[in-house]
Formats: sequence, structure tokens, C-alpha cells
Amino acid sequence: MNDRGVVLAQARMAILVALRTPRVLIFTAAFPLILLVLFNSIFSKGGNETTTLPGDLKLSAEAYFTAGIIAYSVALSTFATLAVSLTTQRENGQLKRYRGTPMPPWTFIAAQITRASAQALLMTALLLGVGAIAYGVPVPASTFPAFIAYVLLGTAAMCSLGIALSAFTPNPDAASTIAPFSVVMLSFVSGVWIPVDQLPSWLETVGKVFPLYHLALGLQTTLAPGASGTGLELGNVVVLLIWCAVGIRIASKRFKWEPQAAKA
Amino acid sequence: MSEAAITVSGLRKSYGEHEAVRGIEFEVAAGEVFGFLGPNGAGKTTTIEILEGYRERSGGEVSVLGVDPGAPTRAWRNRVGLVLQECELDPLWTVAEAVSLFARFYEKPRPVAETIDLVGLGDKRDARVATLSGGQKRRADVAIGIIGDPDLIFLDEPTTGFDPSARRDAWNMIEGLKALGKTVFLTTHYMDEAQHLADRVAILRDGRIVAQGRTEELGDDLGRRTVIGFSLNGSLSAEDVRGAVPTSQVAVAGNRVEIETETPQPDLYRLLELAEQRGVELDELEVRRPSLEDIFLELTRAEAQES
Repeated sequence: MNDRGVVLAQARMAILVALRTPRVLIFTAAFPLILLVLFNSIFSKGGNETTTLPGDLKLSAEAYFTAGIIAYSVALSTFATLAVSLTTQRENGQLKRYRGTPMPPWTFIAAQITRASAQALLMTALLLGVGAIAYGVPVPASTFPAFIAYVLLGTAAMCSLGIALSAFTPNPDAASTIAPFSVVMLSFVSGVWIPVDQLPSWLETVGKVFPLYHLALGLQTTLAPGASGTGLELGNVVVLLIWCAVGIRIASKRFKWEPQAAKA
Repeated sequence: MSEAAITVSGLRKSYGEHEAVRGIEFEVAAGEVFGFLGPNGAGKTTTIEILEGYRERSGGEVSVLGVDPGAPTRAWRNRVGLVLQECELDPLWTVAEAVSLFARFYEKPRPVAETIDLVGLGDKRDARVATLSGGQKRRADVAIGIIGDPDLIFLDEPTTGFDPSARRDAWNMIEGLKALGKTVFLTTHYMDEAQHLADRVAILRDGRIVAQGRTEELGDDLGRRTVIGFSLNGSLSAEDVRGAVPTSQVAVAGNRVEIETETPQPDLYRLLELAEQRGVELDELEVRRPSLEDIFLELTRAEAQES
């Protein structure tokens, strides 16, 4: 049997479900776009490089918020989407039914990751495109490979954490509150809504613990015209890798296939 | 009996202090429909989930299609079809999409369109699952349970919530599976369903099997008797009847006579002879074997055991 075909068939079905759910399209696709427009309209300084990253790197407010909102959108598309959809599918018995078939469990997980990553990459392209065309966000060729690398690393870390979280959310309601809300809250301390140089240092320290900070900072760095070298910074990469490993570890130990709701 | 599809001996399962299954033993022959019955909390679900490879057992031996379901393999899953309780399909899929997806999981699936027709959802193939009635959803579950063309199918309460005509259709479908040579392991709350479909049944109570055997012989094995009933009329009296069938128990209520007998055929012969001699008709004559429902209620009544 062709397992790759099994993965693709399942990914296709997951994408169909997403496309048929207006709520998903509004919250994970329309919202980041609206936020991008809002932030760039409110905080624009006419493209002047007025925002400072750690290390004295300067970039425009537009580039800063575009990169931050891309990080936010990646987290929403992968971490939040996976936590909610896996919890839902577990609680209504779909996962239990799958486990009763010869389908290898890894193909299911791979399909869910494929669907989430596809959404993350599509949103990244869309947001960066709008940022570049409508708000003149520069996309330096020298650091663009690093930009892509950050998006992929962030996607991997957020996917593994979303799957891990689903093991702890008892029902779809809990998952659809906890997951998106934690992304929004973390965004405050991760330089998505507010530049980190305006945060009290203890709050920035809190932000630094979590992967969203490093994803946002990494993307912002790669969009700064003055970035040196490839734009890839070891610190950001290491933190994202660690979180990715933590997520994989928890998910592989705690992931559940059977409904957790009150059993007889 | 041909080769066994399922053999279970000394099966036990405890949840902490509670012993849900307390040493049960049965065998299901290949190609038969086996009814597994019992009130809620008797251990039915625990047992079926052990057989399906979902749950580990605490003790005993189990073999399903020659494999220990405690260590399910992919090849084994290819031969076993499941129709679970309380298990939804994504409401946003169409019937055809859902069945096609599951078809991909199996080595030699049945044709998708034919399977959808078989469960009677042909005209709903492009309908979203969300728009189906309860009975139609259950049929979609069955389509998915058999899409892999399994040798053995577990049907866990397949007709719960069906209206009578949908239930008839489901019965025909299950008979169709049997005709194809499939082994069917059926749990149900409806005794008429088990009586109609099952070749053999086992009745579970408090984690133990309290009766098992061929469906039509179960009553005999348990010493339940056939009842001959009719209404007295003309010159026939209760005494005449007692005289005709001296070895059987005759109960009279008004002019209704009920004879409990272990020898229905000679009793019936003598009664008809008597009626013929007297030139009377035996009004409302019936010969009734104990129904599975009678037996089930009697065996499981004892103490209330809802858990």
C-alpha cells in the first residue's frame, strides 16, 4: 500500500473541511490580513526606519508589524488549528475509528501537519505579499533564505506544540478557547503587537522563554535592510528547535486517540 | 462447526477494584452471526473492545482470526471491520468522500459506489454527513465498517435509533453480509433483532455469561417449555384437556387454556384428536416457543445492575 497516498488523501480531506468552515477562514485567514492593514495604517511612519530590534538593528514599522503578524499567523494556523481540530476529532470518536483501521497512525499525524503547514505557508505568502506591495516592506534577497528557514522552523515548533496541547484539552470548547487565546496573549510579549523595545524588561524576559518571541524576532531581523550575513541567529534557532523537541516529546508520550469525555 | 473466527477463554478485565469481566468463555464460528447480549454495565462494551484490539485484558486467552487482539497488526486490521458506538464522521464530508477516504486505508477495499448502494445511501452519496438522519448516519458507519471487505465484522448496536423500516433494511443488509460468508459479531439491545439475525447468542450478566447456545435452542437448554394455548368452547372442559395431556401443566384462566409442555408434538396431536372427536374447533390456537426476550428478561432481571 502507498502510505504517501494515504497521507495526501487525509490531508486533502482535512483541507476540504477547513475550506467548508467559514469560521476557520475568518479567524485564521481574514483576521491576520485585517490586523496587518490595521497596524500598518495606525503605526505607519511613512516607511522610516524607526523601530529598533535588539542589537540596534533598525527597520520600518511596516516591516516590523508585517513580520510580527506573519509569526502570529503561523502560530494560529498551526498551533491553534491543530490543538482545536485534534481535540474535536478525538472527542467525537473519529480518532478511535481511525485506530480501528489498518491506516498507520503516523500518516494521520503527517496529514494534519501537512494541512496546518499548507495554511501557514499560504498565509505567510499572502501577508508578505500584501506587506511588500501595499506597504513597501523590503524583502532583502540576502536574508530571504533565512526568512523561509524561520517560517519553516516556526511551523515545525508550533505544529508539535499544538499536537502536544491537544493531549491536555479535555474538549473542543476548551481547546478553542485556550489555544487561540494563548497565541494572542503571547503576542503581547513577543513583539507582535508592541515592539519589544517598548516592553518593561521583565515582560520581555517572559516573552523570550516562548517560541513566538523568537519566531517574530527572527522574521523581523530578516526583513531589516541592515541585517548582516544570512540573518539567521543561533539563539532564535536554538529556542525554536528546543520547543519543537519538547512538543514532539510530550505529544509522543501523551497523545490520546480515545474520547476523554466522561465515560461510563 | 467450521474453523473458529473468535475463541475466548477465561477472559477477565478489571478496572482498579471493579471486575467488569469475570472469566468468560465462548467461541464464534467462521461465517456465523453471533449475538452478544446483556444489560448496560454487564461488560459487553469492555469485551467487544478487547476483541477489537482497543483494550488490554487482565487475564485469559483471546484469539480473533488467529491473532491476539492485544497486539493488533496492520494485516489483521485489514481483515476486521468495526462499527462502533458513538463515533461521528466529520459533518462536513459527503458520504462518498468519507467512504472513499476509508477505502484508501485498506489493501483490497470493496468498490465505493457499490458499498454505498449496499447500505441504502445511493441517493445520499453527495450529501454532507451533517444533513443525514440518525439512521442514515448509522448506515454510513456500516458502509465504512465494511469498506475494507473484512472477514469479520463487529457491529456494536447497529440499529439503535432506527425506525422499524430502517431496522428491517439493516437486518436485510446483515443477512447479506452473512450470505457473503462474513462472520458477524453483533451486540444489540433488541432481542427480536438477535432472535432474527443471530445463529447463536451469549447472554452476559455482571461480567459472566449466564447462557449461550443456538438461538432457537436456548430456551430448551434452560428448561423453558413450549406453550400451547387456545380458548375452550363447545362441550370441551378443562378436565377433558387435563385428561388428554396428563404429563403437561395445564393452566386455565377464564376460558383460555395454556399448556406448558416438554412434548409439544404428541400433546398437540392428542388435543386435535380430542377436538375432532367432540366436533369442536380449538379457538385462537397457538403454539409458542419462549422468545429470546422472555429468556433474556428472566436471566438478567434478578438484581438491578445499572452501573
